[in-house]
Amino acid sequence: MKALRPFWPLPALLVALLLPWLPGLPAFWVTLANYTGISSIVAIGLVVLTGISGMTSFGQATILGLGAYTTAVLSKYCDISPWLGLPAGLIVTAAGASLLGAVTVRLSGHYLALGTIAWSVGLYYTFANLDLLGRNDGISGIPPLTILDLKLLDGRASFSVIWIGVILAALATNNLLDSRAGRAIRALKGGAVAAASFGVDTPRTRLLAFVYAAVLAGFAGWLYAHMQRSVNPTPFGFYQSIQYLLMTVIGGAAHVPGALLGAVLVTTVNDRLQDILPRLFGAHGNYESIVFGMLLIAVLQWAPNGIWPLIARIRPRARIIRADALRLPARAMPAPGTTLLDVARLRRSFGGLVAVNDVDFKLAAGEIVGLIGPNGAGKSTTFNLITGIDTPTAGQVSFNGQDITGWPARRIAAAGIARTFQHVKLVPTMSVIENTAIGAHLRGHASALAGLLRLDRTEDARLYAEAARQLARVGLADMADRPATSLALGQQRIVEIARALCLDPVMLLLDEPAAGLRHNEKVELAALLRRLQGEGVTILLVEHDMEFVMGLVERLVVMDFGTKLAEGSAEQVRNDPRVIEAYLGSVE
Amino acid sequence: MNRIRLAAAAITFGLAGPACPSTALADTIRVGVTISTTGPAASLGVPQRNTIALLPTQIAGQTVEYTVLDDGADSTRAVANMRKLIEEGKADIILGTSTTPASLAMITVAAEAKVPMVSMSASAAIIAPMDAARRWVFKVPQNDSLMADAIATHMAAAGVKTVAFIGFNDAYGDGWSKEFTRAASDNKISIVASERFARPDTSVTGQVLKMIAAKPDAVLIAGSGTPAALPQKTLHERGYTGKYYQTHGVANNDFLRVGGKDVEGTVLPAGPILVAAQLPDSNPIKAKALDYTAKYEATNGVGSVATFGGHAYDAAILFAAAVPDALKSGKPGSPEFRAGLRDAMEAQKNLVMTHGIATMTAENHNGFDERARVMVTIQNGAWKLLP
Amino acid sequence: MDSTILAILLQDGVVNGAIYALLALSLVLVFAVTRVIYVAQGEFVAYGALTYAALDGGHLPGSVALLGVLGLAGCAAGLWQARGRLDRPAVLRLLGETIVLPAVIAVAAIILAPMKPGVLVEVLLTLAIVTPMSPLLYRIAFQPLADAPVLVLLIAAVALHLTLTGLGLVFFGPEGFRAPAFSDITITAGPLMIPGQALWIGGLTFALMTALFAFFERSLTGKALRATAVNRLGARLVGIPTERAGLIAFALAGFIGALSGVLIVPLTTVYYDSGFMIGLRGFTAAIIGGLGSYPGAVLAALLVGVAESFSSFWASAFKEVIVFTAIIPVLLWRSLRHGPAEEEE
Repeated sequence: MKALRPFWPLPALLVALLLPWLPGLPAFWVTLANYTGISSIVAIGLVVLTGISGMTSFGQATILGLGAYTTAVLSKYCDISPWLGLPAGLIVTAAGASLLGAVTVRLSGHYLALGTIAWSVGLYYTFANLDLLGRNDGISGIPPLTILDLKLLDGRASFSVIWIGVILAALATNNLLDSRAGRAIRALKGGAVAAASFGVDTPRTRLLAFVYAAVLAGFAGWLYAHMQRSVNPTPFGFYQSIQYLLMTVIGGAAHVPGALLGAVLVTTVNDRLQDILPRLFGAHGNYESIVFGMLLIAVLQWAPNGIWPLIARIRPRARIIRADALRLPARAMPAPGTTLLDVARLRRSFGGLVAVNDVDFKLAAGEIVGLIGPNGAGKSTTFNLITGIDTPTAGQVSFNGQDITGWPARRIAAAGIARTFQHVKLVPTMSVIENTAIGAHLRGHASALAGLLRLDRTEDARLYAEAARQLARVGLADMADRPATSLALGQQRIVEIARALCLDPVMLLLDEPAAGLRHNEKVELAALLRRLQGEGVTILLVEHDMEFVMGLVERLVVMDFGTKLAEGSAEQVRNDPRVIEAYLGSVE
Repeated sequence: MNRIRLAAAAITFGLAGPACPSTALADTIRVGVTISTTGPAASLGVPQRNTIALLPTQIAGQTVEYTVLDDGADSTRAVANMRKLIEEGKADIILGTSTTPASLAMITVAAEAKVPMVSMSASAAIIAPMDAARRWVFKVPQNDSLMADAIATHMAAAGVKTVAFIGFNDAYGDGWSKEFTRAASDNKISIVASERFARPDTSVTGQVLKMIAAKPDAVLIAGSGTPAALPQKTLHERGYTGKYYQTHGVANNDFLRVGGKDVEGTVLPAGPILVAAQLPDSNPIKAKALDYTAKYEATNGVGSVATFGGHAYDAAILFAAAVPDALKSGKPGSPEFRAGLRDAMEAQKNLVMTHGIATMTAENHNGFDERARVMVTIQNGAWKLLP
Repeated sequence: MDSTILAILLQDGVVNGAIYALLALSLVLVFAVTRVIYVAQGEFVAYGALTYAALDGGHLPGSVALLGVLGLAGCAAGLWQARGRLDRPAVLRLLGETIVLPAVIAVAAIILAPMKPGVLVEVLLTLAIVTPMSPLLYRIAFQPLADAPVLVLLIAAVALHLTLTGLGLVFFGPEGFRAPAFSDITITAGPLMIPGQALWIGGLTFALMTALFAFFERSLTGKALRATAVNRLGARLVGIPTERAGLIAFALAGFIGALSGVLIVPLTTVYYDSGFMIGLRGFTAAIIGGLGSYPGAVLAALLVGVAESFSSFWASAFKEVIVFTAIIPVLLWRSLRHGPAEEEE
């Protein structure tokens, strides 16, 4: 099976319109397909929220209820056309989700999962106790959708509406994930720190994923209300939320087609069990949930990542780079020799342990400086303090004449500092070039909505052209479409450099860039760094390979146990007795 | 290729799956049943399912085929079941479901498919106010208003002036809260506390303290099955000595088992089936109810009968009574037959069921009167008919 | 509200909270060792309570048959998982745990059940029937998933919950049960009327916590479990088999669940599906406590119990709304204190 190609929506649309009218098609298949369609829309939202962003929600059914109740109240009590219930429902769910999400996405890990349980239980009982919403009895007799006075009562007509909805949801989601905002979303799980270092506003991106999933659930709620023709609290509870979640996981939580597959499987299996089990065990007793649970465990053991990755060969799409894309504007470099970075009495303590102890050093624009020291000397912590990943306990960092102490990472990135990481932080589910393009996040401006509607193509092509250019520069052009983690570790470090270059940085912080490289690769890397220096980029690097460092840098800063031990030219440092002692004391 | 085989297997399972309606004889009457045999209303649904197994497979010379599906008290599943029963099972009539919200959700489907349905749940909202959709809907359990009136009248006669109410935090509790508030004000009784609890709650101490603090002459507990025993036991523990009333929702022997001596002296309204043996022989309900009880206990054990199962039996009685007339309108499986069933059910007069005697009209699709309820108390661990 | 009501509500909340605390403890334990959020833990409460109630009524509970079936399935799963590296002692051990032990318990239950042997024997028998199911389920359901992500383990636990609840309905029926208290004494202290069972709950919870503490601090097995919790790979490298650690953690969870069930069934009515709501409270407490801290979980559990008790007094219709909405600020506070969102799981 091939991965879905961009041309699939048109034939799919035709199928959605024509399939239900196929002669001889049993009416109940259509009904079943309608329920499946509604569930898949919710599950597609969960792919973005849970499978891709890593936020587990136990409240999707309740959000679906929000959309369903909105259109139910409007169309039943206010005589408003059901079609207007759609925008109203989407606005209410988006607003509600923004409110809930503002709190929820700030929670981490399991707190978040419990948070979703908490507000969904709260909302459920609110539905059940509000007179306007008909309390536990709910609202029945909701008008159906109409097209030109024609009531869509027939399941076959609903089929077309629902499955056009599914196609739109899948299309929008694919577009979103393929856009600038989508790359930020995909970086949330596993790469949030790196993404923040390239200007991604992670809390906002988490909120975006949350609201997006909620809007899809609200959309499903609108379809639900007009197909079911009644709403009450029972289908919006915890159990139904779990059903949506397990559909997503069974199908393959990180893949949009997986959501569809999961919805189809769960709905079909549940329906089949209703028919098969009474024949096997007789009508005395209910065995559906028992057998369903056992099947579920068996499937999870067989396919822990869901079924879709098993039947479809998942590989990143080869990207066509538009050679004619306009180059992104570059920023002006500061005049060589002026002080660019000024670190003053920088300090970071964790409880009693002082990881960085009143460290001072300066970098002039256009310099290459090495930061060395034995393991645990505080080099990476110093990097984190400069780039805003971590906040100093005391001291000051100035960059380009501005005090950047305590700035969030994304603001520091915007100021022109780019970095690589000691432990490579590439998003495993993205290709090399997609990872690289995250570096150019701040050089694009397209909103999530623009991405969703494909209005961002010109800009996105420019971002990708830039990413391709930087990959070519570091010598990895032919790896662009490989999954990032399929590269050797040394090459992954080079991808990180390409990603950093996409930021168009004034200063580069490289954390052990040469680790894992072969000799000739190191020579190429050194040449690249010199070329960058020639272009005015200032470089601070942490490196253990002394030969590499000594041949490259103008100055060295030596750290040990959090304190600066020495500073000066390679020659000076090499002869410093304190440095010799520190290194001999901890010979590697 | 493993993948291809896998995909093929999935497709085969998915597509070949939904069974085409069995090719039985054309004049088989198909009865679709959706009830809550699992989930929060399982104590209603299980005896109903057991009752369906006792129903006749021949009515007026026609073969009758029953298909029972479980909806777990979830309205999405109830409606999906109903569509499955109608579209795939070609059902001529739908019996169900056990809970009010799910029954309400099914009304629209019944009307659009033009298939009559007989609900087995409590609220009068299922059949009133009568409208174009509800024309297709009948309901066999007593309206909760009928039962609420009975309790309020009994209270007034016993000199009760103040009542504390505690009900399920669901549709059943909602319905009772509404109906009893009306009935109480009709009888000049004031409600001094109104509390809610959930079926799986392990403690109702908070609610009980509040009720006792209001010093009511009597308490009314509106819950169904064994969960309704918890507030009463807690009230007892906390030393409440006033009168206890329960609703017909508790009328099964499991309630007596769990309640034990703490529920002695409790008064409740119930369908006559609960105390069928104590009814005078002149009451036509007696024979019907004893007949059902005997059949049920023969397969499910002595003392296992519950009044909820009686609702399923009554639904079947109503349906069976309508079959002969409906057959005159058309063959089973035809729209005419279904419309005929509807018309014939609406035309039933003085139809004896296990819970009462129904006289349907175009406006009233329940048809029960005072004969459908008796006042019962609990004496020495058994139900006792009050005069 | 006067002080009497205050005291009674507090007492009620603490008793419920103690049960939540027990469940929270075992959830923390199971999660730490196996990364499974054990949603099905609640079913052990229901199974424990209903098995005890059935034995008290002189019936043979359906859970005995389930134990036998699980034993066979566990044996098959064990043989399959260890295929290729089975030696004689391992096979004997497996047979002992999955076939012999359940068989002995089942025979004991079949002989003893009709005799109505009294509260103590019934309680012990209940614990013996229900506890072994948990490690058997670990073998069957979770061991093959040991390296799966937390989300997949969670969904597997949900699946197990669905199966066990369904079986509970088949075995025990839809109606609730009660069983006799361990003692009929009631202590009156001022306005408070403390039933003996509440004292049992408090006492046993405390004893169990002390025992767990001693177990983790003193015994070798306990230390091994803690090591596994901190670092699975490291524990395996120094020779602590993670499968064993998982089995022990699940056994403890099963035992605590069954014990909680036996403890509450004299105080309240328990249904086949009661476990889930009780388990959800335990889960809530475990997470508020940080899914890693035992004292934190206990404290949170007591808070949840008391919050429930008070909100059911103030506005019973909105009890769940109040309790669960109150959780959100606590979560926010915990989350912020915990620092930024952790990267991977």
